[in-house]
Amino acid sequence: MDSSTSEGVVESTSTVPPASAPAPAPAPAATPYKPSSADFANYYENFMPYKSIFLWLNHSQAPQEDFTKREFAFEYKSGAYQRYNSFSNVQEFKNTIVKAQPVRFEVGAVYPIEPKLRKSVSKNLMKPVMKEFVLDIDLTDYDDVRTCCSGTSICRKCWKFITLAIKIVDAALREDFGFEKLIWVFSGRRGVHCWVSDYRVRILDEPRRRAIVEYLDVLNVKSKGNKNGISLRKPYHPHVERSFEILRDEFVDIILREQDPWRLDDRYQDLAKCIPDYRLSSALLKHWKEDPGSSSASKWRDVDTFYQNMKVKSFDIQDWKREMIFKTMYPRLDVEVSRQMIHLLKSPFCIHPGTGNVCVPFDPSVKEFDPFTEAPSLSTLFNEDETNWENTSLKGSIELFNRYVDGLVKDEVKEKREREPVSEESW
Amino acid sequence: MFRKVKRRVDGRRNFDGDISKGFVDDLTRYPHRLSFYRMPPLEEITLEEFETWAIDRLKVLLEIESCQSRGKSFKEMSSIVLPILDKLLPLNPPSKESSSLYQERKKDHYSHFILRLAFCRSEELRSRFVKAETALFRIRYQLLSLQEQREFVDSIDLPWEEVSDEERDRFRDQLLRCSYGSIRSALMQTVEYQRTQHVTDEQISGYMDTVKFYRLPFEYVPELVSTRQTFLHKGYAYVGEFQRLSLIATEFSNFLVQQLQATMRALPTLDEDDRLVPVLNNLSKGYVSIDYNGYGGGEDSEGENSSGINAENISQFVSDMPLCMQRLMEGLQMNHHLRYGGRQELSLFLKGIGLNAEEALKFWQQQFTAAGPGSMTMEKFNKEYRYNFRHSYGLEGGHIRYKPWDCRTILSKPAPNKSEFHGCPYRDLRRGELSFQLQKLGLVDDTRLGEVLDLSEKGEYQTACTKVFELVNRDKIDSCLKQGLKVDESSIVHPNQYFDRSRYLDQHAEIERAGG
Repeated sequence: MDSSTSEGVVESTSTVPPASAPAPAPAPAATPYKPSSADFANYYENFMPYKSIFLWLNHSQAPQEDFTKREFAFEYKSGAYQRYNSFSNVQEFKNTIVKAQPVRFEVGAVYPIEPKLRKSVSKNLMKPVMKEFVLDIDLTDYDDVRTCCSGTSICRKCWKFITLAIKIVDAALREDFGFEKLIWVFSGRRGVHCWVSDYRVRILDEPRRRAIVEYLDVLNVKSKGNKNGISLRKPYHPHVERSFEILRDEFVDIILREQDPWRLDDRYQDLAKCIPDYRLSSALLKHWKEDPGSSSASKWRDVDTFYQNMKVKSFDIQDWKREMIFKTMYPRLDVEVSRQMIHLLKSPFCIHPGTGNVCVPFDPSVKEFDPFTEAPSLSTLFNEDETNWENTSLKGSIELFNRYVDGLVKDEVKEKREREPVSEESW
Repeated sequence: MFRKVKRRVDGRRNFDGDISKGFVDDLTRYPHRLSFYRMPPLEEITLEEFETWAIDRLKVLLEIESCQSRGKSFKEMSSIVLPILDKLLPLNPPSKESSSLYQERKKDHYSHFILRLAFCRSEELRSRFVKAETALFRIRYQLLSLQEQREFVDSIDLPWEEVSDEERDRFRDQLLRCSYGSIRSALMQTVEYQRTQHVTDEQISGYMDTVKFYRLPFEYVPELVSTRQTFLHKGYAYVGEFQRLSLIATEFSNFLVQQLQATMRALPTLDEDDRLVPVLNNLSKGYVSIDYNGYGGGEDSEGENSSGINAENISQFVSDMPLCMQRLMEGLQMNHHLRYGGRQELSLFLKGIGLNAEEALKFWQQQFTAAGPGSMTMEKFNKEYRYNFRHSYGLEGGHIRYKPWDCRTILSKPAPNKSEFHGCPYRDLRRGELSFQLQKLGLVDDTRLGEVLDLSEKGEYQTACTKVFELVNRDKIDSCLKQGLKVDESSIVHPNQYFDRSRYLDQHAEIERAGG
């Protein structure tokens, strides 16, 4: 990764927490805060909405397989990671977590038997049978276009990438795939997760999960041959076209003005590399070497000027510009997280151990999520009230989640009645 | 089925006289030419039939696989496979006499199931079998008459419904966007195209209005979803009539994957005949992809140096090497050193072109100790590297005769970092850099160079390399063809194959010059 070195430098020369590093925009929590063991204990005892999480994963009031055969993994302060926990009801779920005091817990798939009993059966039986479809979008994957921050730090400028990603992915999941039961969750530091709970997607096998994520993955993150161009087929697929409409107007502001990723010597090569004509890119490189420090906007214009002057015919500049808009701003997805059924993902309402922020769920259709004001940290919560979440800023998030889960459970009961009489073919 | 086969045939009542008494005209078992192979065979066959039928089918599948790995298009593959299919595994149209139809379909049916047994044993075998069988299925589907296609499609139970006119109008733009490419290639098959050589947007849009669209849950067409070749709306995929083959082929391949896994799980419990095990093992062993084993001398570690290549003259042969090896040679000369991956890749290649162990050591020693940056002392070379090169020739350690790496092996190794030169340049170099390297090989910066770069970007590294070979050696190839000499134009799968082909052209083009 290109970013690893620069990130190391930032951290070694600075004692401020990463979240407030070089951000000109209003930074979140100015004082470094790391939750203590006592903080975790209090949160797990009085704040964590176990019942809501139980209902969300169980899809019914009474415990059923969706919950009881579900894998949970704990990560401890020591770094130890414990997989294959499972619980028979909310009470056990809560008691175990309060007692174990993990720094976070993750939610995995539903198995044919309770994961905690896995040793009593043959390994072949421990194949996941059901799981929510999940997406993980993380700002570290944008380090090649981010200049405001890198690595684990974020600011309002680069959060815009996440906001765009949510818009694009949310639209595709709802309009194209017809999913209705989806919730977005702040991952606590620099990204978001999306959990889709529609029955039809929960029973999907891995090739079909892969198909969904590849459909969304216009940049083709996985493919190695894709270092230079993405070469989108024309005419654009409706999803690509819709995404383009969302991204187009943001390019000048976000990329050229705010991020200005190609200004510096070590970065403008990235732009040159994206130009599919060797003659043109060499000429531009030469030009930029002689004129150091010109802005990204000026370099962007240079491409156009040189293209015209050199009468380049080997590619279409308008197509190229469109593709650059995708290349710099289209959501970067972690394909494996979405594809693999055995993959676990941090539960909503966990505390990010590095920042102390609560991983709150949110609804982008109501309001764009702002991690700097809407993700309370433990210290904020405890200042508001030590024991009762209803008096704290977590109230809104828990209520939002409860409303979502309520709807999910109600519809699930209805649908179940419809699908139960006929035996459903499972994927 | 297999328990029955093992019993001796001789003297058994149902094998006396007419073998298939009572089944002769029983075409109800095989109502369609094409089959999803849902029902396992139940009748008895002889051991000989068991083996020959399986081998016949295997030959067909091998040919298909060879076409696939050479990057042949579906059309090219069909024309190559059809004659073989006709000979070994024909499925004639229903107009023929029904008893021979029955026999054909039976052979097709049984051979498929026998090969399932042979190829269910590992993930690799399964996936290759499914790939080849699915291609066979596609080829055969194309052979069906429209009427047969329709009947066959109707016989498969899929939840598709025709898209209403109202919906078609509503989504016209979206449907056009998604089917533009497919319709375009369909129109390029027409007579009209032969004349005009181009397809207009009006033609495409007009064609679309004549096509039926179906919608079905997106889960049924994962391939069309992942490649964004279908319009999705509210969980339904909108599939054009022309994409139905893709749909049933997907269905076929999914079904086969499931079935093979089931067969594998059931295998230990099948009461297999002792006589069948070796047959099945041989079948699966025969199922190796086209390997290149033609490389000349050097294979025997201490053998004669018959190739005439030695440490001194090896640099004369650099231009015969594929780009990957040229880059390694260049890196070696520049740094007087190569990292491990590079040493392995190059030293085994050199062994393959006929550099024997003695000359190889001399060569590497010269390179590593010659004056220049990165150079080392003789002592250091002997201490740290001598063993490594001798090992490659099977003279140390386990005395294994390592084979020169083929493209697949090279591609499976970790990609090089900045100071390394191994790997496949078509995969590992950035477009600009690759273009520069290719121009050094003598390619001109024109559309053909662009095609090579595009192929590399699409991940078709071997096809790109083959293309480069053709461009670099164009004149020599032409000269050989003019002389009526055979020129192998199949896809490059091995660096040594590239080298040997280049040497062949050198030698034969020279002969022409001497003679003419």
